[in-house]
Amino acid sequence: MNADDWLRTFTAELHQRRVAADAARHVVAEAATHLREGGGDPWVVFGPPHQYAAAIVESIGTAPGPRPGPVRLHARGITKRYGRRTVLSDATLTVRAGQIAAVVGANGCGKSTFLRICAGLVSPDAGEVTISGRLGYCPQSGGTADFLLADEHFVLVGAGQGVARGPARRAGRAAARQLGWEAGGDMLARHLSGGTRQKLNLTMSTLSNPDVLLLDEPYQGFDQGTYVNFWDQLARLRDAGKAIVVVTHLLNQLDRVDTVLDLTPTPQSGWLAPGVQGGHP
Amino acid sequence: MNRLLTVAEMTLRELLRRRGVLLLLLLMPLTFYLIRRDAYLGQSVRSLLLGVGWAVSTAALFATTAARELEPRLRLAGYRPHHLYLGRMLGLWTVGLVISVPFFLLPLVDGAELRYAGLAAAMLCSVGVAAPFGMLIGALLPRELEGTLLLLTVVTVQMLIDPAGSGAKLTPFWSSREIATWAVDHTDEGYLSRGALHGLAVTTLLVLGVAAVASVRLRRRRHLRHLPVG
Repeated sequence: MNADDWLRTFTAELHQRRVAADAARHVVAEAATHLREGGGDPWVVFGPPHQYAAAIVESIGTAPGPRPGPVRLHARGITKRYGRRTVLSDATLTVRAGQIAAVVGANGCGKSTFLRICAGLVSPDAGEVTISGRLGYCPQSGGTADFLLADEHFVLVGAGQGVARGPARRAGRAAARQLGWEAGGDMLARHLSGGTRQKLNLTMSTLSNPDVLLLDEPYQGFDQGTYVNFWDQLARLRDAGKAIVVVTHLLNQLDRVDTVLDLTPTPQSGWLAPGVQGGHP
Repeated sequence: MNRLLTVAEMTLRELLRRRGVLLLLLLMPLTFYLIRRDAYLGQSVRSLLLGVGWAVSTAALFATTAARELEPRLRLAGYRPHHLYLGRMLGLWTVGLVISVPFFLLPLVDGAELRYAGLAAAMLCSVGVAAPFGMLIGALLPRELEGTLLLLTVVTVQMLIDPAGSGAKLTPFWSSREIATWAVDHTDEGYLSRGALHGLAVTTLLVLGVAAVASVRLRRRRHLRHLPVG
């Protein structure tokens, strides 16, 4: 692990421990300056990133956890059948402003269907969804136009909200930068790599400044750095009062979410943290 | 209005970047024209019009299929269904009119003695019908192969059916054929008025069809209740 990787991991550890964003930035900048000027292996100078982050937390404390706000998404009794196969049975999820909810479960258990129902793209056989505020949705794949540039996607999405071209372009590029991507190039969407295309997809979903953000495994093809940036971005959006629902099968990230909806059609879910909401009672 | 024009502009940009498709769009009517050039000129011009109609329908079909995944998220981003389908249609009509220009000039260069106002009206009908026709097929049949085969069937029927028979009036491009007859054979005004009326009626019906399908597909679902931010 070189100094950059160490710093990136250290930053993620600070975010995970809920160190206030400004304080975390300051600490990371100090560590980077120290390494640049003094040289040396960060593992020797500071030790493992998680240990150093723990020491920092002990020293400066953490930011108070954001207090969950009003309910932004309430899905109740969602049932969906395809023919004789029931994919969702009485699934219920409540997400408040300032919360991240994870939807987990085995392949084919209806995670994406649940999200599409919440987005209003698919009708359930039973149940209802209440959304407070504006809705943003990022599909697992697709959702972009092959022969348009990233900037043109931003203009297209921006026009839906009545945003002029210049501001839409700037907002899109700024959101893309949060994911470590400079989006202003002249490359068509079809020529972007899978991961970069997903960054475009994700950027489009946040561009309309939604109050509720639905993300269907949006990190497909992300490299490690982008993946860390993605979760940092989610933490920032949560701290800004957004309600976020993210479909995931990566269980090691569940400590970064506030509530979990398990759609696995078995009663056993003992591994899940408190806050689990069952989809298959 | 801005939303509608933005969708039209993006449709245009997408199509203009598909150089291979554009080339084929131009090649198709040209081939139709040249293949009948040795025979009677009227047949050649009518084939040209059918080629233009087919080319624009195919472009509309592919543009509609390509936008299938994007449209629901644009709907969430603040677009209404009519912004999406009318914007796309506007873009396709523009492309259709642009590619019609060289084919309007082709018989002129070829020295054909035609009523050129009639040829222009026939081209207009052909493009006017083709864009919503291709879009409707694209909206009803989600897979490109099925859509292309259906288009092929309709155009083949259009080519082979007896234009004087009553069944011919049910084919979408009958209007341009009728007006072309007026333009090429210098027949009476009845051909022009019948053709224009047919073109107008078919275009209106197809636009309404596209509107109906898009409004159903992109409707606000009943299970979803939106509340303002409290």
